[in-house]
Amino acid sequence: MDDYKKFLTENVVAEDKVITYRLLSRALKINVNVAKQMLYDFHKTQNEKRPGVVHATYLVYGIKASTGAVSRSQNGADGDVEMASSMPDAESLAEVVPTFTLSLIPEEQLKDALADFEEVSSIHVYSVGPHPTKDMALLADVAQEVLTLNGADERKASGTIANSHVRQRERKGGASVAAAVAAKPALKPSVKPALKQEAKESKPSFFKPAPSSTSTSAPEPAPPKVKEEAKSAQQSAETEKAAPSAPAKKPTPALKRGGSGGIMQAFSKAATKVKKEATSQPATLSGDDSSVQPLSDDGEDDSEMPLPKRRNVTEMSQSKKMREEELRRMMEDDDEEEEQDEEEKAASEDEPIEEPPVEPEPPKEEPEVVTASSGGRRRGKRKIMRKKQIMDDDGYLVTIQEPGWESFSEDEVAAKPKPKVASSAAAPAPAAAKSKKSEPKGSQGNIMSFFSKK
Amino acid sequence: MVTLEDIADSSLLQKPSGQVAGGVLDRSESNYKSLHTFALEKDRPYQQQFADIYFLRLTKIKPAIEEIATTAWEGTVIGGETAKKVDRVLDVRQGELCWVTGTVYMDMPLKPNILEDVAKDRWISAPTSMQQYFSDDGRDAVMLEDDSGRIRLIGDVLKSFFMVTGCIIAVMGTENANGEFDVIDLKFADLAPQPERWELTEPKSSSVSTQQKKQANAKSNKDEDVEMSDGPSSSSGLGSKKIALVSGLEFSGEDTSYAMELNLLLEYLLGEALDPAAQKELAHISRLVVAGNSIAPEHKTTAEESAEKKAHKKYGYDSRSYNPIPSQLFDEFLSELLPTMPVTLLPGVLDPANSSYPQQPIHAAMLPKSRTYTAIPGTAESGWLDSVTNPWEAEVEGWRVLGTGGQNLDDVFKYVDSDDRLGMMEAMCRWRCSAPTAPDTLWSYPFQEDEPFVMKQCPHLYFVGSQPEFGTRIIEGPDGQVVRLILVPSFSATREIVLVDTETLDVSILKISAS
Repeated sequence: MDDYKKFLTENVVAEDKVITYRLLSRALKINVNVAKQMLYDFHKTQNEKRPGVVHATYLVYGIKASTGAVSRSQNGADGDVEMASSMPDAESLAEVVPTFTLSLIPEEQLKDALADFEEVSSIHVYSVGPHPTKDMALLADVAQEVLTLNGADERKASGTIANSHVRQRERKGGASVAAAVAAKPALKPSVKPALKQEAKESKPSFFKPAPSSTSTSAPEPAPPKVKEEAKSAQQSAETEKAAPSAPAKKPTPALKRGGSGGIMQAFSKAATKVKKEATSQPATLSGDDSSVQPLSDDGEDDSEMPLPKRRNVTEMSQSKKMREEELRRMMEDDDEEEEQDEEEKAASEDEPIEEPPVEPEPPKEEPEVVTASSGGRRRGKRKIMRKKQIMDDDGYLVTIQEPGWESFSEDEVAAKPKPKVASSAAAPAPAAAKSKKSEPKGSQGNIMSFFSKK
Repeated sequence: MVTLEDIADSSLLQKPSGQVAGGVLDRSESNYKSLHTFALEKDRPYQQQFADIYFLRLTKIKPAIEEIATTAWEGTVIGGETAKKVDRVLDVRQGELCWVTGTVYMDMPLKPNILEDVAKDRWISAPTSMQQYFSDDGRDAVMLEDDSGRIRLIGDVLKSFFMVTGCIIAVMGTENANGEFDVIDLKFADLAPQPERWELTEPKSSSVSTQQKKQANAKSNKDEDVEMSDGPSSSSGLGSKKIALVSGLEFSGEDTSYAMELNLLLEYLLGEALDPAAQKELAHISRLVVAGNSIAPEHKTTAEESAEKKAHKKYGYDSRSYNPIPSQLFDEFLSELLPTMPVTLLPGVLDPANSSYPQQPIHAAMLPKSRTYTAIPGTAESGWLDSVTNPWEAEVEGWRVLGTGGQNLDDVFKYVDSDDRLGMMEAMCRWRCSAPTAPDTLWSYPFQEDEPFVMKQCPHLYFVGSQPEFGTRIIEGPDGQVVRLILVPSFSATREIVLVDTETLDVSILKISAS
């Protein structure tokens, strides 16, 4: 209870600061009305000890004698220009309007100022400071300071009039943090499976902004569906590498990009999604368009979404830092999880779990034609997917994947299914580099290599 | 006269008792529906002529005014001659007593004239700096015109009315030998039919009361001895619900002379200032309407400064000349306020919106912090922060409200030699036109299909923002219409805001002083 005395002594007496009731209420997280009483008490006790050591300003609310009774209405004084009206005496309708005055008064002038009032309905100490307040504008700086302290919790504690009807819309991207923060308690446990699922099932969409839950209702085949096994295996390897590490390393830039979407969105989305639907199916690339909320073309921010229900304001004003931290922690958790998962996965790598169940699995074909197997080495050709960049008619660079044959030569052991995946992934140039890097960490990869490729 | 002794027992001038006095108050709900009367298409063309506005206005108002004129003048005999109705201005015959309806055109030498600009080959017209258009030397002439022609009006009766370009009147009289129309009597359309209260929205009292009771109960359980007796019951809440009108907040990057007043205003609206009893009252302020000019005008840079700046210009734009602080401050103000109170935001002449009437809503991108409270683009529902057009029409607590940022009245003001701004507001209501001087001297969008400035329905509350002084008056119409007129003073100049009781439409002022 006596915290405030210490706080005020420190700030006002020692540090020469002006403290307003709002600042005090924010600093100590107390109701503003209590803060007003504390300021009064502090002012009184200090000045009893040593008069003049602290100076107060008062906020007075009431009706001033001079202005209260005066007719504030305009009337056409010029008799010759007058609006003819159906009412005979429009001017007589000029009204006496009650005028309330809200005055900020230094204590030195309080007595005089009060004399002007006919009625004072409310008075309290507004601020205390070490010097007589000459320039009220200085208090504005203190008020500005309050704004920076004014989180949602503080607002509640300080007794600001609440409004239970407030409506606010959620923002994707930059401010979807609100959602992330809102889902905080539930987020951590649920996100891990979510990410795993994403990584396994919907690799392509993982890197696309905003795969939405609606896409589950209309799953469309992902682009790489014609891929041969080797390729899909390679890709899954890639994805596994990239997926877990991406969030861990990338969150900051993604956040900076604000509402533009990207990896962050995929994550926050995925989190909520899985929460909603336990049986979430992979979002697909082509599902994207249909899943994004209806676009408006009026230049308003399309990346904003309506809130399903009224959101408590308090959650909105969580600081960005906290959100980032939260996300990072989340991602790290996920990282570990993913590593474990990796091991499990490695055992059953060649199972076609990567593909969503609804998606028609392309007929499996044996991609390898082993022409020679001698001296512990196998030689031959196998089918792979090559990336090719061409310029189309419009002059855009288009990356296409086309099947091709590649000769190989490797150790006999590679014939076993499991290592084969690794080696086949290593075969194309970009992937090779990646798998090397990732070796120490299982098949974990560096996110940068994934992004630099694009 | 209040002395120090009188206030000594004030509850907040005591030692802290350790109890939270008051508890958390919940603000009254605002029943509100914005009408999109003045919203323009996003892809509007600007190629068309302005003449259609006058034509549309005349066709819309003419039936009403002719009805009034017919009842007033039918069978009027003056000097042995019976007055006849004439359909077109061109059909007026010399010497015949008749009445005719048309649009007023004020021919004033000081008034900016587009024909002059065209004649001088000036194609970009600068905003007018003229304080007044009227001149004292009698060179001003009043014309009555319609799509057929134009006739000059004379007669003393004209002097007893406000008269501006674009208002529709009916005149009775004769054409004299000079081809001038000597006006004997003159009529306006008078107030339009007024809708019933709660025509478009429903009072949500029942749901509110249960909700509030619940909260009151929950509260009183928590901190026992407080709030038991007089929780914010809905009955008392509905009785004194208020909306706050403010205009000319003029958040400025340079001028901080009223920064403290703005802060006090914020604290007042948040309900943090004052004592628990007063705070309970403040909780009944259910909405803030910002009637224009939220951002201060930029101060003119000196000539040498601008010369120096010219060197750094890129693409004809000097980014250093942009000062984001005013809009940031305004955004901060709103974002502080919005959690506790819905806000309607009208643009004014100084705000970052288009300059021609009707001004379209301030874009949410200007308010990055507050924008989460705006409505989703494309939805009809009004947002919690409702950025609206100027002029703006809505139904608030069942009352039809028409409000403007002030340009319409300021422009009418330039036409007449009078300070009676309330009278001009009244005249606009009786002309049934909220912006008669558009498009002549008040820049306006060239409407083709509709002329939204015509008041099809008479508002219950008509306010005009950014005025030099507060003023209010109640006017009444022939069919029992009652309109509350309010001049909302500019806060930066007067430090005043207006509070309107939503049951009685009674008005009170709050004056904030910090010096």
